Amino acid sequence: MFQLTATPPNGLADEPVHIRVTGLPPAQMVTLKASLKDEKGNLFQSKAFYRANEAGEVDLERAPALGGDYVGVHAMGLFWSLKPEKAFRRLLKRDVINNPFKVTLDLYDSVCLQDSTTAQPRASQMVQRWFLGPGVQRKQIREGRVRGALFIPPGEGPFPGIIDLFGSIGGLVEFRASLLATHGFAVLALAYFAYEDLPDKLLELDLEYFEEAANFLLAHPKIQRPGIGVISVSKGAEIGLAMACYLKQVVATVCISGSNAILEIPLRYRDLLVTPMRFDWECIQIHVSGAVRLRSGNRDSRNEMNQQSVLPVEKAQGCILFIVGENDECLNTRAYAEQAMDQLKSHGRSSGKMLVYPGAGHLIEPPYAPLCFASWSPALPRPVLWGGDPVAHAAAQEHSWREIQKFFRQHFSGTGIKYS
Amino acid sequence: MVQLTATPLSALVDEPVHIQITGLSPFQVVTLQASLKDEKENMFYSHAYYRANKVGKVDLEYDSALGGDYVGVHPMGLFWSLKPKKLLTRLLKKDVMNSPFRVQIKLCDLQSPLRNQDTSTSMVSVTLERWYVAPGVTRIPVEEGRLRGALFLPSGEGPFPGVIDLFGGIGGLSEHRSSLLASRGFASLALAYWGYKDLPSQLQKLDLEYFEEASNFLLRHPKVFGQGIGVISTSKGAEIGLSMAIYLKQVTATILINGPNSPYGIPYVYRGYTHQSIPYSLQFLSTNALGFIEFQGIYEKIGVEASQSLFPIEKAHGHFLFIVGEDDKSINSKEHAKKAIEKLRRHGKKNWTLLSYPGAGHLIEPPYSPLCWASKMPNLHWGGEVIAHAAAQEHSWKEIQKFLRKHLIPVVTSQL
Repeated sequence: MFQLTATPPNGLADEPVHIRVTGLPPAQMVTLKASLKDEKGNLFQSKAFYRANEAGEVDLERAPALGGDYVGVHAMGLFWSLKPEKAFRRLLKRDVINNPFKVTLDLYDSVCLQDSTTAQPRASQMVQRWFLGPGVQRKQIREGRVRGALFIPPGEGPFPGIIDLFGSIGGLVEFRASLLATHGFAVLALAYFAYEDLPDKLLELDLEYFEEAANFLLAHPKIQRPGIGVISVSKGAEIGLAMACYLKQVVATVCISGSNAILEIPLRYRDLLVTPMRFDWECIQIHVSGAVRLRSGNRDSRNEMNQQSVLPVEKAQGCILFIVGENDECLNTRAYAEQAMDQLKSHGRSSGKMLVYPGAGHLIEPPYAPLCFASWSPALPRPVLWGGDPVAHAAAQEHSWREIQKFFRQHFSGTGIKYS
Repeated sequence: MVQLTATPLSALVDEPVHIQITGLSPFQVVTLQASLKDEKENMFYSHAYYRANKVGKVDLEYDSALGGDYVGVHPMGLFWSLKPKKLLTRLLKKDVMNSPFRVQIKLCDLQSPLRNQDTSTSMVSVTLERWYVAPGVTRIPVEEGRLRGALFLPSGEGPFPGVIDLFGGIGGLSEHRSSLLASRGFASLALAYWGYKDLPSQLQKLDLEYFEEASNFLLRHPKVFGQGIGVISTSKGAEIGLSMAIYLKQVTATILINGPNSPYGIPYVYRGYTHQSIPYSLQFLSTNALGFIEFQGIYEKIGVEASQSLFPIEKAHGHFLFIVGEDDKSINSKEHAKKAIEKLRRHGKKNWTLLSYPGAGHLIEPPYSPLCWASKMPNLHWGGEVIAHAAAQEHSWKEIQKFLRKHLIPVVTSQL
């Protein structure tokens, strides 16, 4: 009798799951399939083909997949290789409080290519992936101009405060903030456009808005003083770096897949106006899939002509962790991070650290999130190419998530930090 | 005054077009956009950015595209980089006789590639006709015995070299290559073998006698040279083409485009005898980052190995032209061709030529056809890098015609 087990069946989305099959005939070829429907009803699927050993077992921690959506030993391969049924859809959890992602694992006792409308699985298991740990509280924030959601770990605190910024997707993306809060940080998922009464379109970056958010966090009774952290990705990382440079409230900043220069739209802070470096539209190439490869239009931030857009990282009082993927097809993030690191060094600062991941793309997310190679972007008629090699990208997500938490723990001083 | 010229305005689809612009400001950057609506009303678009020279001129034969759907000097880039508005739609002409594809070339100001292609406003535009058939070519529907297909004859008395044209897993009847071959002087029989009219709806076995019937039909035709016929075949069709070259003495020149060197999946039957085939090893399929399936791993190494191949290729007495796309994701074409050639060599045979194209994918078509990188149902990745694939199509089409003429047109020797 076939048995398919997945342990734990209910867990956090950034925790691994141990999948095992037992009771098979020795050397039997099997197909393991994973499927998930997101909150909009979009279907995501993955599959891999395995051969049982002489004891009739397949243990994903030991057995190599022969083919399918990944090859080799990848215990979490079925999760990070999930692909949308309709190309260019991105998997993103919106409601982190009320329900998990439900992943159905199906076992077929043959090499099964067709979708489950024809064949019947011999065993099935459902795994819940939660984005919020027990006891973590979510509070909707509408203070002054600040719009977002604050996640506070259970307990007295005070906790290190972190602002979480996503990119040109806009709106409010909460799942990373909620996961980080589960690991003992008070995290404010901060929206800055296309949300509630915030501007619909991003026409300008107003750093005073982000300063208001930083001050709001620091005034919170459960949040440590005197400084906060920032975790930021893509356009958000540009903002995060600007916050690190200009706001003394920011003591630790993680910039994932960001630019070291202000791009396309200006940045304003009190009297300061930073003019942006623009894309070279006439150089932008279209990928064979029809997605637009923005990287081909990136300008060189080391070019003299662009220096007024480059952020003065040497002014940052806190520490900065740059996380970049070498296969980023949106921005030449490695070059941008390297310039920022050189700038720090030339000013005698040792406050910067860079993690470069070969094979990783632009959208480096918490572990086990499927690689999004290209996706529709709001208000754009073409999908945007993000890049990434699936296996390398998955490894980068696992490694960087640990490094991010280590980085924040190291740079927040004081007692009362809760580890979970 | 800005002028956009494209010459010729009406031509065969495998003929190049010379596009020029005059009357721009010096060094002005402009967008050239091409659009095409196929027979099912699907839209295809491409665009490229060019910078005018100091006298305000752009000449696609000399000037480099800065960006867009291609970069560099590519006079026909707008054609072969056309992309479907709806992902995975393949550009394929069904009615080759009665209408051309119409390609509109628009000249616009520099526009962001993120603007909607449907609504771009142009300074000036020109519409080109791209025909799959030359004037005077006739199409004869074939319903002789079991045969189903269409015979395309060049204009004139003939006789002409005869070619059987076989496509692969697409099934049905694809006529566009045969109509073009006829326009270039060949009597080409586009032959269906499944999924068409009263032919089997699924491919469950391959009856070599059906293809022998087709070969005899073509050879018998008063306008076809009687000494031997050729075969041009792609993918699964090339598997059949290879078996025809080996077992049918009527076949004296065979073009194999990205096919296997052994029979796979389904058995072959010929004169009462059933030839075994190698089962596909589906467990070795892979997917690309977008989830499209790549079949190249499913052809067992054991079948690819020269000693294990079930096709006795050394028995063929005609000539072979192997055409390989090295970036083929549907079959490891390079390995298959290499092992087939090794086998020929071991038997002291020299009756082959290999054209191996780095960067080309599975669907190597006549020149200027857009790269079909992936298709629906199931979502398959065919492979190919756009620019390299276009070059492979241009080069191979010339070589294909040279090969067929060399081996099918009898050499007339002096009677002196």
